[in-house]
Amino acid sequence: MTRITIGPFNRVEGDLEVRLDVESGRVQRAEVTAPLYRGFEQILEGRPPLDALVLAPRICGICSVSQSVAAAAALRHAMGTEAAPNGLLATNIAHAAENAADHLTHFYIFFMPDFAREAYASQDWYQETRERFAATRGSAARDALPARARLLETMGIIAGKWPHSLAFQPGGATRAIELGERVRLLSIVTSFRTFLERTVFADTLENMLSLSTADELDRWRAGRSGDFAHFLRLADSLALSELGKGPGVLMSYGAYQGADCGLFPRGIVGPDMVVEPLPLSQISEDVSHAWMRDCSSDPAHSNTVPDPDKAGAYSWCKAPRLSGQPVEVGAIARQTVAGQALIADLVAPSGTNVRNRVIARLIETARIALAMEQWTRALRLSEPFCAPSQEMPDGAYVGLVEAARGSLGHWVAVRGGKIERYQIIAPTTWNFSPRDSLGVAGPLEQALVGTDVGEAGARSVAVQHVVRSFDPCMVCTAH
Amino acid sequence: MGTATETFYSVIRRQGITRRSFHKFCSLTATSLGLGPLAASRIANALETKPRVPVIWMHGLECTCCSESFIRSAHPLVKDAVLSMISLDYDDTIMAAAGHQAEAILEETRAKHKGQYILAVEGNPPLNEGGMFCIDGGKPFVEKLKMMAEDAMAIIAWGACASWGCVQAAKPNPTQATPIDKVITNKPIIKVPGCPPIAEVMTGVVTFITTFGKLPELDRQGRPKMFYSQRIHDKCYRRPHFDAGQFVEEWDDEAARKGYCLYKMGCKGPTTYNACSTVRWNGGVSFPIQSGHGCIGCSEDGFWDKGSFYDRLTNIKQFGIEKNADQIGMAAAGAVGAAVAAHAAVTAVKRLASKREDAGHNS
Repeated sequence: MTRITIGPFNRVEGDLEVRLDVESGRVQRAEVTAPLYRGFEQILEGRPPLDALVLAPRICGICSVSQSVAAAAALRHAMGTEAAPNGLLATNIAHAAENAADHLTHFYIFFMPDFAREAYASQDWYQETRERFAATRGSAARDALPARARLLETMGIIAGKWPHSLAFQPGGATRAIELGERVRLLSIVTSFRTFLERTVFADTLENMLSLSTADELDRWRAGRSGDFAHFLRLADSLALSELGKGPGVLMSYGAYQGADCGLFPRGIVGPDMVVEPLPLSQISEDVSHAWMRDCSSDPAHSNTVPDPDKAGAYSWCKAPRLSGQPVEVGAIARQTVAGQALIADLVAPSGTNVRNRVIARLIETARIALAMEQWTRALRLSEPFCAPSQEMPDGAYVGLVEAARGSLGHWVAVRGGKIERYQIIAPTTWNFSPRDSLGVAGPLEQALVGTDVGEAGARSVAVQHVVRSFDPCMVCTAH
Repeated sequence: MGTATETFYSVIRRQGITRRSFHKFCSLTATSLGLGPLAASRIANALETKPRVPVIWMHGLECTCCSESFIRSAHPLVKDAVLSMISLDYDDTIMAAAGHQAEAILEETRAKHKGQYILAVEGNPPLNEGGMFCIDGGKPFVEKLKMMAEDAMAIIAWGACASWGCVQAAKPNPTQATPIDKVITNKPIIKVPGCPPIAEVMTGVVTFITTFGKLPELDRQGRPKMFYSQRIHDKCYRRPHFDAGQFVEEWDDEAARKGYCLYKMGCKGPTTYNACSTVRWNGGVSFPIQSGHGCIGCSEDGFWDKGSFYDRLTNIKQFGIEKNADQIGMAAAGAVGAAVAAHAAVTAVKRLASKREDAGHNS
């Protein structure tokens, strides 16, 4: 048995370290470490509740809108008020833009460059992949970064700036969209659609989304250009559907808000593929292997107190569990819970894995682009965008949203007009969780077991694929 | 990565950027630096003839918003600045190398370009518990920072984290997050505050240093004067409403739709030095005040611990504001305190340039 340590990981958001026990070239056991902690939950205590709208987004510069929206949702519940429908639509558009941008960043900047590594020099697709996807030098980044920057102009219009936008409030959004701005928004969404249809899919979004089985996807990609089809060829050639299997239970809090615009539903789904309601009260956090002091496992009643010398701990990340079990979150969970036909057909036989996670992200991106068009048209420009703020009575409240990487929850307790406690469970906290008190490993730790690292050891590219297939956001993880 | 004698221009030409596009970039940069049209040809000339300066971009305790801002810069050439123009030898977020290989790049750059590279730092070192709150490659980040700073020509402190500490240093500052200049005291440090800084400000600073071989003129707090010498309030498009006493009282009320001033909603524009109201964000589209929300003063030291973000500033009088705000201005802007440091950087860059010419083409 050899123990190898991989870190610092490059091309992930934040810091990450992975330790692997390897025997006969295969991973027997994995430990995932989040080596960075800032203390947002401690810092938020005692402040005016609305200050969470400014502080919480600064947990992450890549998914700050998700953090904003979760904080706003928690405070809205605290106020016991309804948001203005226009405000929720505007928030959805901005949130969708951020999530789509994250999916593009993951695919083009973080994930694909690993296929341009020398380890694959003997593959017949190597040369083409290298020219297109090599880190910092490939042509793909030159296409994707401007498309992404243009998409994020949406944020400018709706929220003034991004990252760390301020416009998202419990009552809706501070900015009333005007007619000319709606036209600009539509033009941005249209150009994003064009990028997806020309560069990513080489087909219309409608055609893409009409594919409902793995066989149809295989027929569709035969001879097709575009980066998605290129990925599918790589995935086949490297059997990526057999790499990085998840723990089996998938969870979604439900994505995008509003009575008539909740796009993806809330629920959980197991290996039997039956979608069931989410038992929210069964969410807990275990700190047995985190550098944290023991306290309540219920996020509504717990505090975060660092304990850097704790014996047996190996991460700043806590271990969230649903009914005592680790669960996987992310686009693949959202789309499976939402019953997206193609994703369900891929997940049913092979579960979650490196290939399916990437496909789910791109399919979701297509769905989001279409939804952004509809939301922009649905804005009623003369009606309010923000409902007035209300007093916040003492009590415990929760705001649940889906960030690009999965389920994000803010649990806030208010007392005497101040924040008494604030607890955050982020998507990568779920996916990159350490072991719990029963010794059960987190989803990535489980997904790494069995990975063939061969002679490459710490340089194993397979390990890189597995880790990146979750699109980790480490600064959110331990916050 | 890259060759020692390559110029910026040869790299971007190789990437298929047209000469016309290159000159447009030079003019835009000259304008954003406030240097006027003649400077554009100086920038072009420098980029065509000078070797690329190696840049190491390190991440401490932070959220990556500075990197995010940087790669979204409006002009398409700017992303090439990120990806190749400034010879970004090491960057956690985008580089190809991982693990030990990545660590080796740091050692190599340090040895090969001793005293010649720019160390760009996003985030800061937390000093509590021996640096345990930010472990990078098995070591506390503060050690890596000190090691790389030792042989750097100059340091750019990106954003509010590196410049001041930012929200992670808010009370009770559990990790003892500490600004760069409290840890590195023997190198020229240019602070580019903001949470994050504006992309065009960041690329402007990098282009200035690499073009002219010196740090831009800094104010007493170490910020480039060209971007941080005016208050948001000075150039705010809602300023006439402030002067007329017309204020928003509630998000999206009638007054908000008329574009009245956000001062009563807690806007910190009158005490914040930054370029948001002139350069704006996300491709010049907008800035926070334009989204109907007040400025939170994210480029100012200590903005996180000055009462609620939604409290109105109590020390600003609605009329006669100038007297009061000028006092703040005196304290904030001040005279150039970094002339010596800037001179040191010039010398180092000159050394770098001549050495590289001697070295010849080595790749």
